[in-house]
Amino acid sequence: MPYVRNLGFVTVLLGFIAGVLPAGAAGIMPPDQAFQFHAEATDKGGVRVDWSILPGHYLYRDRIQASVDGQPVAIQTVPGESKDDPNFGPTEVYHGSTTATVLAEALNNKTTLTVTYQGCAENVICYPPISKAIDLPTLRVSDAQDNPSAGAPADKSLDQDQMVTTADAANGTEDETAALRGRGLISTMFAFLGFGILLSLTPCVFPMIPIMSGMLARTEGQLSLGRSFVLSSAYVLAMAAAYGTLGIFAAWSGENLQAVLQTPTAILVMSLVFVVLALSMFGLFELQLPQSWTARLAQSAGNKGSVGGAAALGFGSALIVGPCVTPPLAAALIYVGQTGEVLHGSLALFALGLGMGLPLVAFGVLGARVLPRSGAWLMRTKHIFGFVFLALAVWMLSRVLPIRLMAAMWGVLFLAIGGYFVSFWMLAKPRTRGHAAAVAIGMLSLVYGVALAAGAGASIYEPLQPLAAVGLVTANATGSSDGLHLVTNNFRTITNEAGLEHAIEVARKQGKTIMVDFSAEWCTECKLMERNVFSQEAVRRAFRGFLLVKADLTHFDGDSKELMKRFSVVGPPTIVFISPDGREIQEARIVGDVSVSGFLSKLAKAVRA
Amino acid sequence: MTDNISRAQFLRLAALSATILVLPSAALADENEITRNMIFNDPESPTGGNPNGDLTIVDFFDYNCPYCKGAAKPLEKVVKADGNIRLVYKDWPILHPTSIIGARLALGAKYQGKYLPVHHALMNIDGYGVEQEKMIEATRNAGVDAAQLDADMTAHADDIARLVKRNLNIADAIGLQGTPGFLVGPFKVNQALNEQGFVRVVADARARQKTPQSK
Repeated sequence: MPYVRNLGFVTVLLGFIAGVLPAGAAGIMPPDQAFQFHAEATDKGGVRVDWSILPGHYLYRDRIQASVDGQPVAIQTVPGESKDDPNFGPTEVYHGSTTATVLAEALNNKTTLTVTYQGCAENVICYPPISKAIDLPTLRVSDAQDNPSAGAPADKSLDQDQMVTTADAANGTEDETAALRGRGLISTMFAFLGFGILLSLTPCVFPMIPIMSGMLARTEGQLSLGRSFVLSSAYVLAMAAAYGTLGIFAAWSGENLQAVLQTPTAILVMSLVFVVLALSMFGLFELQLPQSWTARLAQSAGNKGSVGGAAALGFGSALIVGPCVTPPLAAALIYVGQTGEVLHGSLALFALGLGMGLPLVAFGVLGARVLPRSGAWLMRTKHIFGFVFLALAVWMLSRVLPIRLMAAMWGVLFLAIGGYFVSFWMLAKPRTRGHAAAVAIGMLSLVYGVALAAGAGASIYEPLQPLAAVGLVTANATGSSDGLHLVTNNFRTITNEAGLEHAIEVARKQGKTIMVDFSAEWCTECKLMERNVFSQEAVRRAFRGFLLVKADLTHFDGDSKELMKRFSVVGPPTIVFISPDGREIQEARIVGDVSVSGFLSKLAKAVRA
Repeated sequence: MTDNISRAQFLRLAALSATILVLPSAALADENEITRNMIFNDPESPTGGNPNGDLTIVDFFDYNCPYCKGAAKPLEKVVKADGNIRLVYKDWPILHPTSIIGARLALGAKYQGKYLPVHHALMNIDGYGVEQEKMIEATRNAGVDAAQLDADMTAHADDIARLVKRNLNIADAIGLQGTPGFLVGPFKVNQALNEQGFVRVVADARARQKTPQSK
């Protein structure tokens, strides 16, 4: 769709339609200018707030609300004018100015009073609710963050789950936040179930077999097929429940630790943990509990054949024998801890336990014959796990390491996997179809590894287009990579005001003008501008003498909003020029997309200023 | 020494390993990431006008916004008269606690193909601070199957909540100050327009689409 390409979706349409506007409005006032808010103490220890309302704007009386430390409190308002417009119904509004009071009783020993209000520009626009926090000791007014009692209705209702039915308009209580994430849950559970089944193929689960068969064997009398199914199921369910409990703890601590877990140090440490786990999988050392413990548990196993006993045994053996499967379990726990969702984490690990136990149920019901023989292929399973852990380690590192190094690491990993499978095939005698599959995977992996490693040499990392690196698919990938790299390397990226202050300081010392490019990953227009304008030779020449700063708004959070507010930026792409003495050069500002010549003339303006 | 591994086992291992490798990245994909495609082509956002129109207008509105209601009729009129405009409805409930209820009623009716009748019925209730009961009454009278709507609102509660959250994020990201807001081709119009205003901005948007990179 061609129009999509050309849409500068922050291009603000102002004067251009002024002629056809209803009330002749020339633009939208920012809410804080339309409704100027002020707070002062009353004689009696309360707080009086007042608003100066710009002509053509009004506030709603019934939307003035107050809360203290999160609890709603009474706020006294004065009668307003009744809107007699048939479009409005019986609504009281204020024009010009108004005032409201919170009595001293409501403010006893409290720290913050939050006042929320809402209004419109006549015939033009209605603003969302505005919340101001008043620091009670100093009466300093600031923008309220996430006020719980009176924010935007959508946020509030979505979080509190008001479910309306046409029948009785009652409120439901469904947990929406859990459900909001529900889509990923099923796939996660299946993945962990599969992971569990895979784990059950490792020797780690085998100590459980004597425990369980001991339990089944000691049951008095003849054991029916149904009874042994019930008992082994109870055993396995309890085992899964034990893992589920572990998941709860992991997710809980994850919730608190999540921020910490994202720091480069934590990521490095965890990647190291994965590498250690991988080495253990390759047989460098064993992570296992003393034999005597598992033996003792098997001894005392199942003196009675009750379901409860079987369940207790399952729960216990999961926790005691569990450490044998520590490496994969730790991996699962770290993953769950990183996502930080209790329900998710717990269910995922429950599924893991279930997967591990399914073969045990089969064993319990059908006897030892059906379980695969332990043997060399079990070693292979462990080795494959080892590679999976190494891949996880590299994946985690990708958040902190430069792309070039990442490409090299992935390349080496795939080369190792390829080498492993190929040597597996070469050593095998006689060779079966399984070996043929192995060598196929091995060769593919080798080719992929070589491509990635070659890409690393050329500073290209296109995991889904590995061939770009070896020059088979050059046109698109390398072209854009070159262009973007050359450009972005000159820009220093900032995400908050501190970064900007630093840049201004640097520019002042160097006597340079700063160009701040407000940009974001999701802003297609910005990307097009980088490719079509910034990459031009003439533009690059003109860039000399400027300090180039990219304000990255990709994570649209409080920091980036502050940054935008400082320069009244509506959204990316916007380019702001700041002279060496720290003033914005207003006439050079660029909003929306711009042609090369347009951009150069703005640059010239910025230089002259 | 490696004879014990069977082909079936091998394939199973390979498949599971692949699942595990893919899992983390899939789980981390952010559904709230804002793309142009999401704004114009969110498959869950109701649309009107000509689906193949050469110009798309995205309408951000609230069922408690008097000026949205005032602008809705001229907008629909211009879209109909023009015949070549695609209209995307973004429920953006920000003004009043009942706004979200209106959005849920209308978006719930989408599942029985009745979004537009309910949308128009809710937009036809004048004023600000519309009571929940009034909205439900208007919805019933718009010719929906009430039992079906109840069932759909329950069954699709998450889909609706997610869509509304997406709309909130989009409006935030494109810097809308309040309701109503319109994206008309390349232009953002953050205010109510009359019929003449819509005709003019549509014409200008078309003119601009024909001359891409000029400024």
